[in-house]
Amino acid sequence: MAAQSAPSPVDDLARRLAGLSAVTGLEQQLVDTLLSLLPGSRRDRAGNAVLSLGAGASRRLAICPVDEPGYVVGHVRADGYLTLRRSPGRPSPGRDAQLEGQRVSIWTPRGVVPGVVAVRSIHLTRGRDRAPGTFTVDSGLVDVGAGSEAEVGSLGIRPLAPVTLHKRPHRYGRDLLAAPVAGRRAACAALVVTARRAAAEQGMIPRRQSVVIAFVVEEELSGRGLGTIANSMGPFEETVIVDGGDGGATTSADRWPSLGRVVVKALPVRYAGTPVETVALSDAERLAAELAAWIGESR
Amino acid sequence: MRAALALLALLPFTAAAAQDPERLRETEAALKTLVESYGVSGMEAPVREAVRRLLPAWAKPQVDTAGNLWVTAGRGEPTVVLVAHLDEVGFEVTAIGEDGALEVTPRGGIFPTLWAGRPALVHGGRFSVPAVFQPLDSAAASSGDPMSLRVDVGATSRAQTEALGVRIGYTVTSPKEYVRLAGERVTARSFDDRVGSAAQVMAVRRLDPEKLRHTVIFLWSVREEIGLEGARAAARSLGLRPARVHAIDTFVSADSPLELRNFAVAPLGQGPVARALDNSSVTPPALLDSLVAVAGSRGIPLQVGTTNGGNDGSAFAEFGVPDVPIGWPLRYSHSPVEVADLRDVAHLAELVQAVAERW
Repeated sequence: MAAQSAPSPVDDLARRLAGLSAVTGLEQQLVDTLLSLLPGSRRDRAGNAVLSLGAGASRRLAICPVDEPGYVVGHVRADGYLTLRRSPGRPSPGRDAQLEGQRVSIWTPRGVVPGVVAVRSIHLTRGRDRAPGTFTVDSGLVDVGAGSEAEVGSLGIRPLAPVTLHKRPHRYGRDLLAAPVAGRRAACAALVVTARRAAAEQGMIPRRQSVVIAFVVEEELSGRGLGTIANSMGPFEETVIVDGGDGGATTSADRWPSLGRVVVKALPVRYAGTPVETVALSDAERLAAELAAWIGESR
Repeated sequence: MRAALALLALLPFTAAAAQDPERLRETEAALKTLVESYGVSGMEAPVREAVRRLLPAWAKPQVDTAGNLWVTAGRGEPTVVLVAHLDEVGFEVTAIGEDGALEVTPRGGIFPTLWAGRPALVHGGRFSVPAVFQPLDSAAASSGDPMSLRVDVGATSRAQTEALGVRIGYTVTSPKEYVRLAGERVTARSFDDRVGSAAQVMAVRRLDPEKLRHTVIFLWSVREEIGLEGARAAARSLGLRPARVHAIDTFVSADSPLELRNFAVAPLGQGPVARALDNSSVTPPALLDSLVAVAGSRGIPLQVGTTNGGNDGSAFAEFGVPDVPIGWPLRYSHSPVEVADLRDVAHLAELVQAVAERW
């Protein structure tokens, strides 16, 4: 039997956040959760969750992107199947194929509706020339069990509803967590835990300093979240970006000098960009400790 | 006569369509229990135990040396056999690499791309080890070569993997969950053939064995997906005795926009399907007529169709036993997201009971 380590606050939160959806441009559900976890935080004009700590003039910023590549309902067919539209943003080769024959979640105002992406029955390919083609989003049909457009509507599903692979974070090995964008979610969990600690501990922020902690939207598309922080709350002396894997946020940070010196702290991941993107939760714990030390640094 | 009966079978049965909600709930509970048990071909014990727990006290199930589960009801001839299979498709561990990852090979027909890059469970004797199927590189994904699938248990050496208790010969699946879709539609992996198994369980629970007019053997077989092995063993042990066999197994349906609709068109929600012709058997026309009549006598909707795949009943062919397989329509067979209609499952259970009691 695998001997898994006991869950810690970062562990629990990473799993919770990895189970949520935040398709680029449609991050509200995850941001709502972050706002509930961070007393005193607010949603800014871009939709970021922002928490300001300390009142000093010397300002620093720590951010974690929250969004993920995903899909929206493109159209509801007369036979009750849904078609899909890829969310805009950085291209990700092979990502569409991850949908074929898998369970998906359609996120509606009334809650999550389960669906499955249709796939050919292997029995019915027998003896036929037509080999399975490469799956693309344009060939994706989502079956929610409905038999008509009206029945789909009665489920609360409309075009533009976010669609993601069903999120079921999976622990394996000693302390590994596998899920879509697990690295980014674990990095955000480390920042949340650190922010909660800093907010609770009087004196953690050095005098004459302040720290802004933000969970930013649309990093996969336009950098709207980070740009809004830079332009509305800067200048900062230093910005720390926490993320998983290659840390896509670094590509946009150069655009805003008001972010000051930019430091990236990226959690290493295995199987990046797949449904089993894997992060070691011990790495996330270490990141939380590093962030706490950074917040407490006197300048 | 036969044409008239077939037409009758396709007519809607409004009385039967309005199914008792309690009956649907009971059927769903049994199906969920069986679906959420794991049993790759050759390691069906957890499913077999789940079936055993669901059976009534009078059933007194027996397990043969092949691993099949038997319930014998009624007395006298003719002997009729109904058979559903316990196993599901999955993988077998064939080697443990120096890096600790598992080499696996499929058991049963699958598209490996549907499993690559997914959570996994390695099944040992009494425990499961969580793991992941490594993503295929793009070349392997294109070729669809299942031999390139590997499983990561989170270890970095063969010794670490072995320390987790993982051994060659263990089986691998992915975690599964029974989920309701809209209406009465449901999705999960391994409906093939947990639906058949559940239908037989429900039939056994509802019938009165004292009222049967002849011997009926309910069989839950093993290793169907890798060559009907359990059914072959059962057929050999019964020899010439059975008068008839009914495989209770999936009717793979073309009721999906992705399929050619030149055959296997049995819409979900319109009842069980007489699997009149597949790759392993042809139902004798007179027996097909009789099946249609039995269904009609109980107001059970029945479709008649032809599909692909083999069935356990064909293992009895060498003893001259006619095979009258009965299925239910299934979408996306052998995928992680098979879809069925709960009303069909409940009607299938009623039809199995009717076959035992009236034919």
